[in-house]
Amino acid sequence: MKTINMKINGTERQIEIDENERLLDVIREGFHLTGTKEGCGEGECGVCSVLLDGKLVNACMIMAFQAADREVITIEGVGKDGGLDPIQQAFIDTGAVQCGFCTPGMILSAKALLLKNPTPSKQEIRRGISGNLCRCTGYEKIVEAVALASDRMRNPEQ
Amino acid sequence: MAFKVIGENVLRVDGHTKVTGGAKYPADLEMDNMLYGKTLRSIKAHANFTIDTKKAESIEGVVGVLTAEDIPGKNCHGVLFKDHEALCESKVRRIGDPMAVVIAESERIASKALESIEVVYEDLEAVFDPEEAMKEDAPKIHGVDNTVFHFKIRRGDVEKAFEEAAVIVEDTYYTGAVDHAFLQPEAGIAYEEEDGTLTVVAATQYPHFDRIDIAGALGLEEEQVRIINPAVGGAFGGREDLTLQIHLAVAAKKFQRPVKMVYDRKESFLAHCKRHPITMHCKTAADKDGKLLALKARIVGDTGAYASWAVNVLRKAGVHITGPYEIPNVWVDSYAVYTNNPFSGAMRGFGATQPPIAHEQQMDRIAEKLGMDPFTIRRKNLFSLGSKTATEQVLKESVPLGRCLDALEAAMNEKPLPDKDINYLEDLKAQQLKKEGFWNEKIR
Ligand code: FES
Ligand code: FES
Repeated sequence: MKTINMKINGTERQIEIDENERLLDVIREGFHLTGTKEGCGEGECGVCSVLLDGKLVNACMIMAFQAADREVITIEGVGKDGGLDPIQQAFIDTGAVQCGFCTPGMILSAKALLLKNPTPSKQEIRRGISGNLCRCTGYEKIVEAVALASDRMRNPEQ
Repeated sequence: MAFKVIGENVLRVDGHTKVTGGAKYPADLEMDNMLYGKTLRSIKAHANFTIDTKKAESIEGVVGVLTAEDIPGKNCHGVLFKDHEALCESKVRRIGDPMAVVIAESERIASKALESIEVVYEDLEAVFDPEEAMKEDAPKIHGVDNTVFHFKIRRGDVEKAFEEAAVIVEDTYYTGAVDHAFLQPEAGIAYEEEDGTLTVVAATQYPHFDRIDIAGALGLEEEQVRIINPAVGGAFGGREDLTLQIHLAVAAKKFQRPVKMVYDRKESFLAHCKRHPITMHCKTAADKDGKLLALKARIVGDTGAYASWAVNVLRKAGVHITGPYEIPNVWVDSYAVYTNNPFSGAMRGFGATQPPIAHEQQMDRIAEKLGMDPFTIRRKNLFSLGSKTATEQVLKESVPLGRCLDALEAAMNEKPLPDKDINYLEDLKAQQLKKEGFWNEKIR
């Protein structure tokens, strides 16, 4: 057992971890933030995507101790002041949510993409979410949602 | 008349909880005083076995190990035939068959304890090829004939038509097993309520079927069992057969504590059905103008160790093997056969997905032999309003296949599209304007 500090969704927290725990275990079991999912446990599906110091990572591939003294954003921390992030709203509006299991990871991927590139082309969006699988195969709508979010973020008055 | 839903853009009720991470899938549930289960699965495709769980039971933190003996009611389940054992009694029929479930204070202890269960296998002759399995002297997977189902169509006189045909194409086509790979691996939780009701929370496609089989296995009345279907992370047919539900229910009842199980991806692949691998032998005849005269097809579907929906799937494959074409003379034999392979069941299309591999290649090859354009030969034979299928069904509603072909041909003949990418956002906005009010304030 080891105690680490972590800023999670804007709050400084202390948490006890096991040396062999993954960041995903700490998020889901330690912090009870179950919006981050586990689909494969081996870096293939992207449903465990979170932002680590603003960079997109698969939480199943990061050991918990590697996140010590760093900042983690999960799906629960994406919206601001109790409202939805424009990406979340766009996912609802375009019908990009089906079973929803890929949705948190997709939104985090989109978030990372739009932070880097606020005006992605369709190809860039596709590349941006290429690490996230959607087995309901709603990719068209998801790409549409990211494009719409990008548009709304630049033209907030719309 | 104005509709409230049809023609309107309706936001899905669970959209908000799903984009915020609030939606609860079974693995997200937790209860106080919870136990965890892990399943021991067969590593043999066909074998008798004996099992000794004593060592595993003595491990600290293990509260018990369930085997077939712990199933209080009927140790069987299945959507059509009750040919699955909830926990195998003395024989396994495929790799991945469940044999025991360790129930422990933590997931880690349960996983570790699996290694201490001692199993002695006595190999049985196995059969992996459905053609072999249909033979009389093949090993019997369930003690009866391996042919689960035989569907026939007999229409007109195929042999006579073959004699009169200008062209005949005959070949065999194979499709492989496919897994749904729904993104949320199986998980669930079960507990007994204060009034004695046994509640099972698991992502499922058939809560009502689950309840019948769980009650049967527990020896309870259906009314004493409650199924809660939380958020389901995809299914596509793969959650129609039971996986962990009976195990959870038995454990919760026996140990009087909530029990949770979560499969990892590997176990998920072992636990649920696959799409039926199907072998399709087709002999198709046409006259010199490309009009189809006859089809003779022999279809063999590998349902693996369990029947699941084999009857419905192979019936559907048998009906669909003509393709969307009028054929006056049709002879079909479609079989579902047990083997020691992973079991097959429902998956997207339910037997309608495999036949196009065969009938569309047959069409192309007939066209080639006649020197005919592939669109032309299809148009000559397509179902249209009023057509009769090989099973004598009269198509009275919409049959828009011609339009579908027109659109396809137009798209194929169009010059390569310029890179639309640059204007993607503009396109999207233009589309939005068309879908009047789609993204406006009103629906946000
Ligand atoms: S669970 Fe981490 S990538 Fe699939
Ligand atoms: S919505 Fe089901 S996996 Fe993407």
